[in-house]
Amino acid sequence: MKGKKQIDELFKERFKNFEATPSSHVWDAIQATLKKEEDDQKVIPIWWKLGGVAALLAILLTVGSIVFNPFDTTKNITSEDAIPLDLPEMKKDLINSDYINKNEIASEEIENPSTKESSEVVSEIDLVTSSDKEGDPLNISNTKQDAVIAESTSNKVSNSKKEKTNSILKQNPPLEVISEKERIAVVAKKETSEEVVISKPNDGVIKKDITLDETAKPIANETNDSDINKEGKATDAKTKDDVIKSEEGLNKRSLLDVIKENKVEKAVAKASNIPDERWDVAPNFAPVYYNSLSEGSSIDPSFSDNAKSGGVNLSYGVQVSYAINNRLSVRSGISNVDLSYATSGLELGTAPVSEALKSIDYGERQVVTTAVDKGTFSNNPPGGNPFGNITPKSTSGDVKLVQDINYYEIPLELKYAVLDSKFGVNIIGGLSTMLLGKNEVYVQADGFEEALGNATNLSSISFSTNLGVGFDYKITRKLRFNLEPMFKYQLNPYTDSSVNFKPYYIGVYTGLSLKF
Amino acid sequence: MTLNELISQCKKRDAKAQAELYKQYSSTLFAICLRYSPNYVEAEDNLQDAFITILKKVEQFKGKGSFEGWMKRITVNTVLQKYRKQRDFDIAKEEQIEDLNEEIESNEIPLDFLLKIIQELPSQYRLVFTLYVLDDYSHKEIATMLGISDGTSKSNLARARVILKNKIEIYNNTNKA
Repeated sequence: MKGKKQIDELFKERFKNFEATPSSHVWDAIQATLKKEEDDQKVIPIWWKLGGVAALLAILLTVGSIVFNPFDTTKNITSEDAIPLDLPEMKKDLINSDYINKNEIASEEIENPSTKESSEVVSEIDLVTSSDKEGDPLNISNTKQDAVIAESTSNKVSNSKKEKTNSILKQNPPLEVISEKERIAVVAKKETSEEVVISKPNDGVIKKDITLDETAKPIANETNDSDINKEGKATDAKTKDDVIKSEEGLNKRSLLDVIKENKVEKAVAKASNIPDERWDVAPNFAPVYYNSLSEGSSIDPSFSDNAKSGGVNLSYGVQVSYAINNRLSVRSGISNVDLSYATSGLELGTAPVSEALKSIDYGERQVVTTAVDKGTFSNNPPGGNPFGNITPKSTSGDVKLVQDINYYEIPLELKYAVLDSKFGVNIIGGLSTMLLGKNEVYVQADGFEEALGNATNLSSISFSTNLGVGFDYKITRKLRFNLEPMFKYQLNPYTDSSVNFKPYYIGVYTGLSLKF
Repeated sequence: MTLNELISQCKKRDAKAQAELYKQYSSTLFAICLRYSPNYVEAEDNLQDAFITILKKVEQFKGKGSFEGWMKRITVNTVLQKYRKQRDFDIAKEEQIEDLNEEIESNEIPLDFLLKIIQELPSQYRLVFTLYVLDDYSHKEIATMLGISDGTSKSNLARARVILKNKIEIYNNTNKA
């Protein structure tokens, strides 16, 4: 037991205040890991969020324009009608509910024997009976109605088609039933000799025909066929034509008015929904200010706490946009973007390339100029590690390390008009692909400037997310002046994910845009 | 900056506070890693893993008990997770443990040497010995932490003592001669 205790106590005693300093690369590795994980967590959500916002916007606007477009609504209704047409039984039911009730009411009200006959026609759904009654005054009014319908659908009927009337009639019994019923409904009311009453159901019938004709071709064709039949009858009753026209003149006019009104409405709606010129080209330029959201340095981690300043440079390019509708447009183009960033609080030295800044490609040179934090040389006298191989260089004034970066930017953005009058306000969001052009790092002091080389850690292709507000003033219908303050956040500007430098740039883009 | 301020800044992922925390505690935590790891390089790896865990889980520290104790526990757990599955010795072949009656001369034995012989122990012996002797865990706790029985923990400890004692004796004899 003594030995056991002794061993335990020996170790306890000796390790009681045991501490050991790990080498510095452990902390570097910890920082790099944290940074990487942070970036992985941050970059993706920003990308997804902005992408999501753009997609959501696009979906909402598309859905919105469909739902609130009055003509698309009519289209929906007629397409519903198209189904029962394929199923004659269903169509019959539909018509019954729409018109038979009226017919019943009419026949109850009117004590005229001929009207009662027409009611029987409905109940029998017998086409032959109805054509047999052509000579009947009731049928004259039927044909009157037919003629109106035929005209309203702008159907040009050839003579040969008229001859086929009877056979077509039999081929399309359900449709004929419809028109028969419709007619009778109208006629029954007409028997009361009140034109005002007539015009109402007429409007209904005509409108329905227009809708069918213009929005659903197959339906329209069938309707036309039945109209041909009707017109056939109308010509059979030629002798009555003049009477019909004179009697129905007033009514017809009102129907045509309705059609015209409809067309005008449609034209108005079209004008308000679809842009006249969809394409738009806009040369633009912008002062751009470059800076970082974080404190880090892309040149060397030791410069993280140094004073830094973003530079103002110029971006210029051309943009082409396509209007999806009057509110929403999608645009792309190409721009040349120059950015710059300066780090100060440094001092310079000459060193072998192996001791110089790691993120810079000095080219072929072996002894190069490097920059270190101000005060490094005074704290570490020559000969002492780790800066022993760096010979201080005497300079006057503040030493700045400047990085110039040039990108070719290809944006893909959505622009939504919040206000679209003479003066417009737009929201712009999207992404840009940034192709790295030239880049250079140089040092500056009073009376001294030297190019060091290229930064090696810049991605050749990177992306940015763009958000902004666009103001425009319409000088003429085709020409407008734009002013767009934009914020662009770079997603992966550096190949080395441990670089704690999160650059963004702000540009105020101005230019003229021309529609074509 | 007080410790509480430091903790709350670390919870906000403040880089300067994280660096300060590391500066203050890395030596203590690294000592733990050295005692539980088989060599210096792995000790550094373990410190890195442990410290990242500490910085990521710092918001889970609710101020119960000492922060240093909390960090030490995370460090120990990190190391245990790595080595407890490594059964690099054959339990079946365990010999009868000889009594440790002889006194050993402990004067002048450098700490480096003691650390080295701990590190050279088979992983489970090293973990049991360090937990029991240096960090005052009971056999019951050790059994739970390592997923072994109390008996195994005890016999592992005894084996570790024998190995360490032998090495110290060899060291003493070599140096005497």
